[in-house]
Amino acid sequence: MSKQLESHIPEGPVKDKWTKAKFENKLVNPANKRKFKVLVVGTGLAGASAAATLSELGYQVQSFCFQDSPRRAHSIAAQGGINAAKNYQGDGDSVHRLFYDTVKGGDFRSREANVHRLAEVSSNIVDQCVAQGVPFAREYGGLLDNRSFGGAQVSRTFYAKGQTGQQLLIGAYSALMKEVSTGSVELFTRREMLELVVIDGKARGIIVRNLITGGMETYMGDAVMLCTGGYGNVFYLSTNAMGSNVTATWRAHKKGAYFANPCYTQIHPTCIPVHGEYQSKLTLMSESLRNDGRVWVPEAKNDKRKASDIPEEERDYYLERKYPSFGNLVPRDIASRNAKYVCDEGKGVGATGLAVYLDFSDSIKRLGQKTIENRYGNLFDMYEQITGSSPYEEPMMIYPAVHYTMGGLWVDYNLMTSIPGLFCLGEANFSDHGANRLGASALMQGLSDGYFVAPYTLGNYLAQQDLAQVDATHPDAVKALSSAQERIDKLLAIKGERTVDDFHKELGLLLWDKCGMSRNEAGLKEALVKIPKIRDEFWENVNVMGSPGELNQTLEKAGRVADFLEFGELMVKDALERKESCGGHFREESQTEGGEALRDDENFAHVAAWEFNGVGEVPILHKEALIFENVALAQRSYK
Amino acid sequence: MSNAAKKINLNLKVWRQKNAEDKGYFDVYKAEGIDQDASFLEMLDVVNEGLSKQGKDPIAFDHDCREGICGMCGAVVNGHAHGPKAKTTLCQLHMRTFSNGQTLVIEPFRSRALPVQKDLIVDRSAFDRVIASGGFISVRTGSVQDANNIPVEKKSADLAFDAASCIGCAACVAACPNASAMLFVSAKVSHLALLPQGQPERSRRVLGMVEQMDTEGFGNCSNEYQCEAACPKGISVQNIARMNRDYAHARFTSED
Amino acid sequence: MLKKYLSSSIGKKQIVALTGLAMVLFLLAHLAGNLLIFKGADAYNAYAAALKEFGALLWVARLGLIAMFFIHFVFIFLLVKQNRQARGVQYSEPLHANTRSLSTKLMPVSGTILLAYIITHLMDFTFTHSNIANATVCGDYLGLYGLVVNHFSNPFGSLWYVIAMFAVGFHLTHAVQSVAQTFGWNNSKYTPFIKKTSVVVGIGIAAGFAAVPIYVFFLACGTSSCTLG
Ligand SMILES: Cc1cc2nc3c(=O)[nH]c(=O)nc-3n(C[C@H](O)[C@H](O)[C@H](O)COP(=O)(O)OP(=O)(O)OC[C@H]3O[C@@H](n4cnc5c(N)ncnc54)[C@H](O)[C@@H]3O)c2cc1C
Ligand code: HEM
Ligand code: FES
Repeated sequence: MSKQLESHIPEGPVKDKWTKAKFENKLVNPANKRKFKVLVVGTGLAGASAAATLSELGYQVQSFCFQDSPRRAHSIAAQGGINAAKNYQGDGDSVHRLFYDTVKGGDFRSREANVHRLAEVSSNIVDQCVAQGVPFAREYGGLLDNRSFGGAQVSRTFYAKGQTGQQLLIGAYSALMKEVSTGSVELFTRREMLELVVIDGKARGIIVRNLITGGMETYMGDAVMLCTGGYGNVFYLSTNAMGSNVTATWRAHKKGAYFANPCYTQIHPTCIPVHGEYQSKLTLMSESLRNDGRVWVPEAKNDKRKASDIPEEERDYYLERKYPSFGNLVPRDIASRNAKYVCDEGKGVGATGLAVYLDFSDSIKRLGQKTIENRYGNLFDMYEQITGSSPYEEPMMIYPAVHYTMGGLWVDYNLMTSIPGLFCLGEANFSDHGANRLGASALMQGLSDGYFVAPYTLGNYLAQQDLAQVDATHPDAVKALSSAQERIDKLLAIKGERTVDDFHKELGLLLWDKCGMSRNEAGLKEALVKIPKIRDEFWENVNVMGSPGELNQTLEKAGRVADFLEFGELMVKDALERKESCGGHFREESQTEGGEALRDDENFAHVAAWEFNGVGEVPILHKEALIFENVALAQRSYK
Repeated sequence: MSNAAKKINLNLKVWRQKNAEDKGYFDVYKAEGIDQDASFLEMLDVVNEGLSKQGKDPIAFDHDCREGICGMCGAVVNGHAHGPKAKTTLCQLHMRTFSNGQTLVIEPFRSRALPVQKDLIVDRSAFDRVIASGGFISVRTGSVQDANNIPVEKKSADLAFDAASCIGCAACVAACPNASAMLFVSAKVSHLALLPQGQPERSRRVLGMVEQMDTEGFGNCSNEYQCEAACPKGISVQNIARMNRDYAHARFTSED
Repeated sequence: MLKKYLSSSIGKKQIVALTGLAMVLFLLAHLAGNLLIFKGADAYNAYAAALKEFGALLWVARLGLIAMFFIHFVFIFLLVKQNRQARGVQYSEPLHANTRSLSTKLMPVSGTILLAYIITHLMDFTFTHSNIANATVCGDYLGLYGLVVNHFSNPFGSLWYVIAMFAVGFHLTHAVQSVAQTFGWNNSKYTPFIKKTSVVVGIGIAAGFAAVPIYVFFLACGTSSCTLG
């Protein structure tokens, strides 16, 4: 039953592939587009841009999200910016350089062809957004401003203060609402997708729960696009929004879509540390802070003195010490891992000992408070709002937190999953970022997928199909609906003792410990034993209140956690299988003498795509070899 | 931070309403041992965890990002939309704002145009319909010129950004004595009116959006500026002035 | 077009502002006239007589003023009615108690006092013609001047007038700057000035009008009533 992984990358030099693909793609006659209906799940950058563009092209679109408005998708939270190879600064940027940086940044675990396409369309994205009225930062001459972000050597990041994600999403949302106003997009908010309907091996519909009435609804169409974001919340605490989940992609996985590289998660180094039992989420502090802040911990273990009482010579500026040439600006994964090391040694600060200082006093002395305020004022205010302490007076405390997930549903070059007719866009798919994502490139990828890639490749798929007429009464649709319903009834019938959050926390902590910033065989194996136990207990002892036919937030959460409990196991399995260190995945067994990540290109230069084989059963691994013809494989070094 | 954190006890009076048809009532709860470093929503989480353990229906409230950017959260606390702290969403309001033993009255945002769906959750789809009535620039994907071919004066760009920082939370409606949505609508009208890209549809946009706003049943602006005081993003009422001007101009000059 | 304008929230509000502004201009002119009372009976009566000279034109102006007033009232009525309905369920706690200014909060109250006042005002001075009985001060018939003096020598007459002027003051400190906002003149450069102007106009009109009864009342009661005139 297992299918061959066929990535459908066009032949020819990398820089011509996308042009070639666009030319060779079959087209749907404009008059016929009306006859096709596409279900787009998710209204983040990927979903909103895809739905709007498909509708402009003439397709009938139905758009779904679980929030009360499409504008609230998690993309709204992105702060830093979006990359584009415009070379507006004249500092030597080019499509090739962006391509190169992204492949290297991803630690050579992404497809060259996909990344090159991303770099090619990056410019079109910025053009599109500006035309929609996205208020990017500008210079006095009226032209667009750029900054350098995440350690890039060129200034290619476009930004709108600390709200780039919001402004881009509002742009995509307004494009979507423009199509809603013409009637060619139908909007379904407060709907959570719970099942995929597969008929004759093709994705033909979805089952959603109406979160207001609790009713189950079936929507049928000719293709389905999942744009449902990342699964960072499997860790319980993350910088993701509370509702971010793996449910849509996981249920599709259970219907046959392969899940690729689930172990690749990005841990962001500068977040506000955990400060209490009650804590529900972690807040990101922009990476840009490391431009002027110095990271340190006390030399001595368990030093409980106030930061200001610790003299200079008793401080360890460990990043500057270990990485003299990059210092505090080492990439995310390295900064994160080193924070963990010093805290594990007992040098961490704060009440929990799980924090390091990010100190601005030298910069304030050197540049003056005014300059620092101009650069980081809003971030400092936010920090003070949350922690009650002022970074102008005391050093900030930071700690790494789960931020982004590079893994996702496996897709071919056309963004189609291993189920024909099921496409996957944005953070939900696995493509483009390899084992580590560079700053400001997730927004770029979401919009590239939605505005510029999927609308072409969908046509190519539909033009070659002869799809039977189906509706909600089709036996496969009815079956999918009843299986979703049964699951809900089962959850409500347990009436156990423990709350949903309790299980979620237990799973999250376990994953953070064993499958977080650094991983080893023993720990991963231990997790593989524990997760099924937590899951079993969940299904026996969880307490989900209320009834199915009403707005029931506990039930929503329970469904998501149930999926995390299955997904978590796959994630650990993938981490165990990948015996090398690469990007965000650090296997302790695979490091250099200096303690740096050591890739194993001979054995692991591949995408690991997993096929579902039953809950608790061993999944089947398919490998897609990664071939590097344009970028030479090299070990990253930041010493 | 945590070193100094104190635990406090609070009395809550919370609006409970099963669904849109239900009449609703206030119920009282005790929130005990609340860490002052916790956020307002985390305080509600703690209360809800307790309610669940007692087999009672937890308090339903909307939230997602918990970073003050998605616009999902919101309630009126002791007569203040998003609580007593200025320029703060409910999820970013921390319990150190309150003192031990205080009573907090927690009500949903109230407006006929934003009906309560359950407890503190309201239906804000009216906002989406207002945006769909013109809150966009009609450009098709791919049919655009190079971004730097449209220079924008920095001042206008900054003002447009300020207007565009609206998160659509509806606190302005909740705080307005007349439940008017003028701040929300004008923020979008202004954002696009301030940019060269927004000019071709400027008249059409303001006419369409104001008409939809009125149809939804929001109240009228009486220049009380409570919206501005409550807005977590500090959106200025100058945007309302701009919309008033644009509206009159468009009404008397355009043919729509 | 006009129909759509008038049925829109912004259109209605602008009509209120326009009529309100017209009335403010009228009040300023009216005040200038009133203040002539300080120059004495002759000047005051001469002004009244000069007004009468306008004849038919005066009636046009009066009708216009009544129309302004009436339109103002009708549109306010419509707006307030919609505003009341817009909330649906009321809050249990007073809304934003500490950020609402009193004059803003009291617009409908001050407006209603004004309504009552204007009716009594018209009855007292416009529809009551001066005659020997009501306009004789210390034995001299002083025309309109006498009528005014006599009316304000009565404590209730002056008190009501002063209260009403407070209401005008309240109404206008909010209203004048509000007109600017309603028509879209709000920017960081001029708004502070407009706000100050609003307060000055409000207080100025209130104080100016109130000065008349206070002057009359205290002079009339404080000294022998025949120092007047
Ligand atoms: C704090 C933070 C800061 C960031 N900053 C940056 C940055 O500066 N630059 C950058 O490039 N990237 C940044 N990122 C990453 C980036 O924001 C995301 O990767 C990207 O926005 C994801 O977009 P998306 O469209 O794929 O998904 P999302 O925006 O997450 O949208 C998911 C959509 O799917 C819907 N959905 C999910 N599940 C279901 C379901 N089961 N049923 C129905 N609907 C469902 C949701 O309602 C939502 O509409 C940041 C991320 C975080 C957390
Ligand atoms: C019948 C008596 C009156 C009533 C009930 C009344 C009521 C009101 C109310 C409630 C408002 C606020 C409207 C809103 O913002 O929605 C208002 C505004 C105003 N009123 Fe009156 N008013 C009356 C008489 C007057 C008079 C006599 C004047 C002038 C001297 C006046 C001048 C104004 C002005 C200038 C405004 C401001 C309009 C704006 O906000 O743009 N009003 N009135
Ligand atoms: S939860 Fe997103 S703004 Fe409060």
